[in-house]
Amino acid sequence: MSNRTFAAAAFTIALAIVVASRFIPNDYFFSAAYTVLQFIILATAWNILGGYTGYVNFGSAAFFAVGAYSTVFLYKALHPPLPVMILAGTLAAGVLGLAVGYLTLRMRGVFFAIATLALSVVLYTFVVNWDYVGGARGAYILQPREVPFGLRRYIHLLYSAMVLMTALALVVARAIETSFIGRGLAAIRDDELAAECAGVPTLRLKLFSATVSGALMGMAGTTFPFYLSYVEPSAAFNLSYAVNSIAMPLIGGMMSWVGPLIGAVLLGTVQQVVQVTISSAWNLLIVGVLLVLFVTLAPNGIMGWVDAWRRRRKR
Amino acid sequence: MNRLTTWFSAGLLALSLALAAPVHAQQPLKIGFGMSLTGPLAGNGKAALIAMQIWAEDVNAKGGILGRKVELVYYDDQTNPSTVPSIYNKLLDVDKVDLLVSGYGTNVIAPAMPIVMQRNMAFMGLFGLNVNSKFNYDRYFQIMPAGPEPAIGWTQGFFDTAMALAPKPQTIALVGADAEYPALALEGARAQAKRTGLKVVYDKTYPPNTVDFSPILRAIQATNPDLVFVASYPPDSAGMVRAANEVGLKTRMFGGGMVGPQFAALKTQLGPLLNGIVNYETFAPDVAGKFPFLDQFLAKYQGRAVKEGVDPLGFYLPPYAYAMMQVLEQSIKAVGALDQAKLADYMHTYEFDTFVGKVRFAKNGEWAVPRMLTVQYHGIAGNDLEQWMKPGHVTVLAPASYKTGAIMAPYHDNKK
Repeated sequence: MSNRTFAAAAFTIALAIVVASRFIPNDYFFSAAYTVLQFIILATAWNILGGYTGYVNFGSAAFFAVGAYSTVFLYKALHPPLPVMILAGTLAAGVLGLAVGYLTLRMRGVFFAIATLALSVVLYTFVVNWDYVGGARGAYILQPREVPFGLRRYIHLLYSAMVLMTALALVVARAIETSFIGRGLAAIRDDELAAECAGVPTLRLKLFSATVSGALMGMAGTTFPFYLSYVEPSAAFNLSYAVNSIAMPLIGGMMSWVGPLIGAVLLGTVQQVVQVTISSAWNLLIVGVLLVLFVTLAPNGIMGWVDAWRRRRKR
Repeated sequence: MNRLTTWFSAGLLALSLALAAPVHAQQPLKIGFGMSLTGPLAGNGKAALIAMQIWAEDVNAKGGILGRKVELVYYDDQTNPSTVPSIYNKLLDVDKVDLLVSGYGTNVIAPAMPIVMQRNMAFMGLFGLNVNSKFNYDRYFQIMPAGPEPAIGWTQGFFDTAMALAPKPQTIALVGADAEYPALALEGARAQAKRTGLKVVYDKTYPPNTVDFSPILRAIQATNPDLVFVASYPPDSAGMVRAANEVGLKTRMFGGGMVGPQFAALKTQLGPLLNGIVNYETFAPDVAGKFPFLDQFLAKYQGRAVKEGVDPLGFYLPPYAYAMMQVLEQSIKAVGALDQAKLADYMHTYEFDTFVGKVRFAKNGEWAVPRMLTVQYHGIAGNDLEQWMKPGHVTVLAPASYKTGAIMAPYHDNKK
């Protein structure tokens, strides 16, 4: 399937889901689905740099927070419409991604991973001391009372925006994977020096990969302030975003765009279900055990396991 | 044929019983909330949950409310605000709860507000800091006794006590963590310093993960302040108190807004190091006479808390979690229905008699009159818990109607 056909199919399905969801009377579905969709975008975005390129980013929460806090800033400064805030947050996180891309000039492997973690700490400290966006006290972002497109509640709008953004993230990830960029990134992941010698423009590709990855992670955070109505640094920089963005592609498989999607749907849904069924310290243990099991039994993720199974069948 | 008739009759009987059941059996009155049972605030969340469960048992033992047994429907919010919207939507849409209350703290109250407001529910908050200042929701109520202006109410007692010292203090150092509560407390302290004409000689914050407080205390000591106001969370409070003792801090009053000394864990851990410190509390055994019937609750709570491994004293949060439910109970009984508008109207209009005393709400849903206790610890020897359960080690300095003694100043001469 060509990328154009895939994009058309993805957005058609996304629109169909948005329209069909209007008949769901239960708001719980929308808030639970919002969280799962948010994780799909984060996992997909992380995988572009971490999976395709092989640069492990521990600072996903920082990109997510840049998206969230750009919305807070714009809400306080100009009060623009939601699409403008989404676009601005995506661009801001993309610029940060570009800066991280330049880090790859000098750092690889564990050093790069630690640098991204440090980036998260630096940004956290910056936000804590920036009073305009609430500083340590946090900021209140009130959901507008008027909801457009005849939707009943604002969460329906946020959910719809999230569905479309998820489609966009998947289209971008697939387009990168199946193009010459994806092949170049795979070469960098396998052996960067060899790729450079073979004529792969490694710096340009890494910059592109880091920028797109950062922008998409930021995009996932842009609607977060409206979802919570109250954003404070520890919520926006929550460790769960960094952990889940890595765990989900690991579970699903890091070699293709489908892996993060499957991992995020699986782990995100399990987390949602466990939260309202077991509802105690056990829920953390169950998610942890699930992670250990997958990493042990299917080290290349579910997609890796499926590929191996297919190969065995062909033989 | 005979067998068929028997089966048909049995089926008909079962169907009629199933249809009749909802008519005869009263549905329980469901009260829903998210609570921090894991994560950083799990200790407080579990303690509050025990209090709410004790309330439900007490109410059910007396026949329930409006003839219906009370059932608490709750989920673990993991101390993570992003879990809150889905929890509250599930409570309303799937569990079909009749009433909502909040979990513990501002971070998890605020994300529930849009949902509560969309459904026009009356909403009781548990220790949220000025949450309604932005939402302006007329059906929001909050049980922490910080008063209609929490930042001011929280710090009032410390500054009133300080300004009554002779000679009047001239300078103050303000220090706190880069986090939500300390930021609010420091904001209140700055306003109080301005009001009282105190010169602020030190005003700095520190990152929440700071472990060594000696350099901070040394820097404060270098400014030689008359008063030191600290707004901190439990780990930093312990660090601050230890550092003040190590450095040999010399000042007339030290403390003010430290979270931590209210809990048994820090009381027993710090023991005599707390002597001389002036801080806030929500209850002290020295004023137990002003909290009639609270001893009955504490006896029940303390028995369970030890088994559950949470705060064995339960002075700070649990009585207020119980009182929050009492407000709800008294409102429903008075209104005689679950009409949210009438419940909110009642809560705005009338005074409530609870285990934490008389409670009346201001227009913004906070306590109409602040009642944070400003206390001074003294005479603490050793690290045992028993001494904290009896009167004699906590002098209440403010508010005036709860005062049990005079301040012992300066701090450095009263560390025993």
